Formats: sequence, C-alpha cells, structure tokens
Amino acid sequence: MKRIVQIVFVIIHNSYIPAFFSGGIYQGVLKRYCTPILNCWGCPLAWYSCPMGALQHFIGLRLIPFYILGIFSTVGMTIGRMSCGWICPFGFLQDILYKIKSFKLKLPNWCSYLKYVMLIGVAVFVVYLTEEPWFCKLCPDGSLIAGIPLVLADRSGDLRALVGWHYYMKIAILIFILLGSIGIKRFFCRTFCPVGAIYSVFNRFSLLRIRVNKKRCIDCGSCQLVCPMDVPIHRSPNHIDCIRCLDCKKVCPTQAIKYEVR
Amino acid sequence: MKSAKSIIISIFIVGGGQVYEGRLWVGIAFAVIFYGSIFLMKNIWTGLNPAFWGIVGVWILFWLYNIYDAYKGATYDKPPCEKACPAGITPWIYINLIATDSKEEYPFFPFFKILERICPAPCEDKCTRRGIDKPVAIKYLKSAVKMSPPQCNHKKRDKRIGIIGAGPCGLAAGYFLVKKGYGVTIYEKEEMPGGVLRTFIPEFRLSSSVLDEEIEKILNCGIELKCGVRVGADISLDELLQKYDALFVATGAGKPIKLNILGEENCLNGLELLKEIKKGKEFHLGRVGVVGGGNTAIDVARSLIRQGNKVTIYYRRRIEDMPCEHEDREEAREEGIEIVPLCLPQRVEDGRVTFIKTAAPEGRKGRIEIMPDSEFEVELDRLVLACGQIPDSAFLRKYLKVNQNGSIKVKNGRTSHPKIFAGGDAVLGSKTLAHAVGQAKEVADLIDFSLRGIAPGIGRFFKKSYMPRVEVLPIKDLPRIKIPHRDVEERKNDFLEVELRASEEELRKEADRCLACPLRYRP
Repeated sequence: MKRIVQIVFVIIHNSYIPAFFSGGIYQGVLKRYCTPILNCWGCPLAWYSCPMGALQHFIGLRLIPFYILGIFSTVGMTIGRMSCGWICPFGFLQDILYKIKSFKLKLPNWCSYLKYVMLIGVAVFVVYLTEEPWFCKLCPDGSLIAGIPLVLADRSGDLRALVGWHYYMKIAILIFILLGSIGIKRFFCRTFCPVGAIYSVFNRFSLLRIRVNKKRCIDCGSCQLVCPMDVPIHRSPNHIDCIRCLDCKKVCPTQAIKYEVR
Repeated sequence: MKSAKSIIISIFIVGGGQVYEGRLWVGIAFAVIFYGSIFLMKNIWTGLNPAFWGIVGVWILFWLYNIYDAYKGATYDKPPCEKACPAGITPWIYINLIATDSKEEYPFFPFFKILERICPAPCEDKCTRRGIDKPVAIKYLKSAVKMSPPQCNHKKRDKRIGIIGAGPCGLAAGYFLVKKGYGVTIYEKEEMPGGVLRTFIPEFRLSSSVLDEEIEKILNCGIELKCGVRVGADISLDELLQKYDALFVATGAGKPIKLNILGEENCLNGLELLKEIKKGKEFHLGRVGVVGGGNTAIDVARSLIRQGNKVTIYYRRRIEDMPCEHEDREEAREEGIEIVPLCLPQRVEDGRVTFIKTAAPEGRKGRIEIMPDSEFEVELDRLVLACGQIPDSAFLRKYLKVNQNGSIKVKNGRTSHPKIFAGGDAVLGSKTLAHAVGQAKEVADLIDFSLRGIAPGIGRFFKKSYMPRVEVLPIKDLPRIKIPHRDVEERKNDFLEVELRASEEELRKEADRCLACPLRYRP
C-alpha cells in the first residue's frame, strides 16, 4: 500500500514528459503551487515547485514567505510528518536503498537535531545574509533530479560552461548521501532535511497522531525494527522523526499501536 | 575462504565481491553509484578545482565501505531473543535453519545441549510471538539443531594461557581461546572437570552422560587439563604468572552465605548436601526444611524428596518472586514439596525451628520488613540452608582488588592486574550458565586483543557478522509444543532426567512458529 502510494506520487510529482523532447523545464501554471515535500523545482520532469526553494527565494528577497509557511503549518497541523513517509520521492529512494543487504549502521540520537541546524543555519540565516538560496546549492535531491539530468542533456553548452567547483561539491554530497542511506535508515531525512525539520515541530500537536497502549505493549521492539526512521515507537509514539508511515501499526503483534484523530 | 576472495575482488571491482558472495543487489547498487559517478565526472569534466578532491574523498570512502562490506557481510537489527541472550547465541538463526530444513550447520557453541536443559531461557520471556499466543520454545529447539563439530584446526600461536577453574566459564573460555590458536591449560581442584554442573546440578535435571559428552567435545580440541591441582596450595599464582602469558580466573562462586541465626551450626549446607548426594550418599533425615528460593533450594528439596524425606521450602519473599525457574518450581510442587513464603528462620533447636513472618514488597528487590510478634514454631528434624552463594577469592586478594561480597573487581572487562583476567560467577556473583558462557566469550576476545596489542574497539569493528541464508516463512497458527515430562509418581523415586526429549517432527513444527523478526520486520 505505502509503496504504491509512493510510486504514484513519484509520477504525480515528476512526469513532465515533454521535457524529454524540449530539454527545458516546465514553467506552466502548476509551478505556482508548492508540493508539501522536498522535490526540486529545477527538475525537468517536475510539475510543482519546491517549498524549500520558494522559502529561500522569499528569504533571499527579505520578505516573509506567508504562502510557504501557511502550507507548512496547514499540512503539519493536520498530518504531522506523514507526507515525508507517503509522498516524498527522495524518501522513497532512500527506503529502496536501505533494502539492499549490506552491513548496517545505527545513528546516534543527537543526529536528529542536526536538521534544525540545517534549517535555521543554512536555509534561513545564511540565505538572509547572502541573498542566495544556499540550501538549494547543497541539496542532494536537487543535484540528483535536476543538476545531473540538466547538464547531461544540455545541447547548447551554456550549462556545461557553468560547471565548476560548486557543481563538483554537489556531486560529492550526493554520493555521500546515497552511500549513507545504503547503510543507515533514511540518512538524509533524519539528519539534514529542513522540510522534515519544520514538520517535526508539528508532530507533537498534529491532528493525526499515534497512540501506544502501554498495557498491551510487550516491549518486543518490532515497531523499531520495521520503522524506516529507526524510531522506538513503543517508547516515544510522537517522536520528532516519526513520519506516520504506519508500518508499525501493521506489524505490532498485540495491536497496541493505534492512530487517532483528535 | 570465500570471504578472502570476495575482499580481493572488491578491492579491484567495487561491488564485485558482493556479487561473488551471492548478494547481487548490493553489488549492482554499489557499482551503479560508484561507476556511474565516475562516468558522470568524465562527461562533465571542466577542469580541476579544489572541490574535486572532495569527490575523490567520497570515492575513497565508498571504496572502503565496499571492502568492509565484502569482509563483514550483511548485518541486521538484533531481535529481542538475541538481545536477551546473555551467552550471545542467535536463536532466530538456528530456528530458521531448522524450519527451512537447511543443510547449513550452526557454528559450534560450547554447552549447547546443557543450555537446552538448565537455561532459564530469558529469550522466551522476550519473544515477539508471546504477543500473538505463546513464546516459541527456543530453549527446547536446541536439540534439533544441526551443529558443526568444534572448530579448532586454526593456525597455532606461541602464546600460552592458563585458566583457573574447569567450570562452565573456564571450559568455554578454553574452547574460544583454542579456537583462536592459543595453547590452553586448565587447572581444576576437583577430580573431574565441570564445576557447578558436575558437583551441584542434580542428576534429574542434567544427566552426567550429557555433561561428559559436552566436556569431551571441548577438551578434544587440544586443551590441557590438570585436575586435582589447587591453585594457591599445590601451585602458587606467582608460578603460574611466570609460566603463562595471561591468566584467566574462573573460580566460580562456592562459598555459602551465612544467615547468622541461633543454632546455625546444627544446620546442613545446601551445596555440601547436593555434592554428597551427587556422589551417591543417601540422606534419611525425616522432616526437612529448606531455607531459600533459588535453584539450589529447589534442587536440594527435590533431591531430598527422592530419598524419601518430607520436605518444605521456606522463602522470605512471595512465591512468584522466587529467583528459581518457574517450571522447576511447579515441577517441585507436583512432586509434593510444600512452599511456605514470607518467613525467615530465627532459632534452630533440637527438632524444632522458630520462624518469623515477614512483609516483602513485590519483585525481587526492596527491603524486607519483619512483622513483630509473629513467631511460629515448626517441628523439623533438620534445617538445610540454601540462601545463595558468593565467590570465594581469598587466595587472590594479594594480586587483585576484590569487592566486599567476594567478587573480583572488574573495570571494562579487566581486573586490576594487567595479566590476570576474570570471568564467570567469580565476577558476576552466582548467575546462570548462559551468563558464564557469554562472559567466557567476551573475556576470550579481550585476552586475544590484549595479547595481540589491539584496542578492543577496533577488534570488535573487525568482527565478522554471522548470517547464513535465511528466509521468511508465513506465520503459522500452531500451538506451542508441550515438552513431555515423566510421570510424577515414577520420577519421584529415582534420579533420572525429568524432562523427556520431544520428537524431531514436533520440534520442526515448533520452529515454524518463529516470526524471524529481523527478516519479517524490515523497512
């Protein structure tokens, strides 16, 4: 179920087929709308714009981005971080990469807080000072679905001429993130994603939330085994990293995990 | 050596070693990302700049990760049974091997057959299946495991290690060290190896033939055993320290705890009694009271009832909190042993014992209050004290720091003397066999690292993961196996094993109940 939804949303987000023929990006009316997850608007196939890109754009102009903040808080207040689990294409890619049977690592808990550094430090503070979208310049999702295809498909040679140390750095970060997500569950989502950082604040207050029946819970830890974010659901049901994929509800042997709308 | 080859392949072709090992998708993913990025860089190359060295750095990281992955193999998140096991056994793997009729053998583990009989099975208390119906009978499934013979044909090292005490911990450590190629000599004060298993565990729980078989397997690896040598009396510790590169002290806990009550000198000691009974001596005492709630107390009571005595157990806390195994306690009750909870002995006189009632909180910890004016007298011919035992490490005090309760002080696995290591009950206080074997494994690694001059953290980093071909089976709705026991009337009169072995076919069915958590519950 989750996988089907994820694949469907990959198609919904990135399916501007004419890009294969024209080589340019979609610039029609849908680009005015933000999707609630991180999906680069520079991708030739993308229909919608990226909230993080738009946010930085407005901060770069020294304006308060009411539109973006409105989207974030509406989605966050209703379903928390659920959109990360069900519709984010980059999260889907990391899920698939973790499935391969290599040796795995555990991430220490403090890494979860690095994404706030990314959000406040890079995506807000630095952008405000320099008036340049600095997170976009580092974003591995951007380099994977926008940077690489655009440069490879570039016929005129204008873009190729722009490739420099900055582009090389993006490639290095992308390889590092891909390598990390083979060994660590959703490495990027847990440590660096600023969109996740915004939603994770709402996880405590969102309308949809997860309840664990402590009397029924037998502390077996199956929920943590199956969790794509490695959250100990049985101990902290509304953890900042919980992406509401509801896999834990499916595997719980005693049906102790429930989601409820308050 | 398959893994050595795959490492070499991985050094030259990223992802090649993994494909050679049979993990196709890992290999493909590694190769696609690594060679894909090289191809990309070749395609968009616009000249050298400082950021290029960042990419080179990530490539090197990728390459090292790939080699390490080829060396280590796939790992998994530990399921609750494996986390609970003090001995570090991987129950879900051997159960999966049984359930899938695999030809693969489970690597040899010392005292496996004995753990099947006397382990309190903390793994079953944590089993995920208990959320659905009842836990998988992990303990009993051990008898259906195809186990490889002990591996001891490794290359020999010239370092020698002395082990004091041929108990479970000493023998297991001996095996793990011989496996690593060291020369091992074990000193034992008794005539036969086996420690507590030989002297105290009664025949009806663990028959000597099984014990002999398991010890034989370990000793055949080339361990030198010197029985009847008491370290400190027959041979001094200084001499041993000169003779060996490292010493491992696994002297166990054999000193009974004293109660300090009036007339204690007239009481019998539970451990001594078990020892005498095991040697074949008969005790006809009449009405006997046993004080204590651990395995020793239950064993004493069950041994005495088999010799025609009338036995009552007196315990200071509630019956549910007795530290013995629940199954044993119920078996003991079936055999006609009465258990009186919440009382402590006060005075022991001729044919008469005065007890006092207590109030104890729930659980095994917490202070016990004595109820005033609640003394009661019971007519008993003899009182047996089995209130636990502590390590006796008097002969080590000169060399090592020792805790107040007699156990050896250990910090990060090391004692205060650089050449002496300690483990087992001598460190833990009286614990289970699984704890002893687990400690033996840990300390054997530590001795190995320290003799080779490797930091333990690095040593553990380079430990291979063990995961054979395992597969997820559908969840089956089967009831938990019932282990046959001998009839109460029949078993009450002899010392043969109480538990019977279940048939292969039934165990095979039981193995189907395992959920294989790490495989089933994967993101």
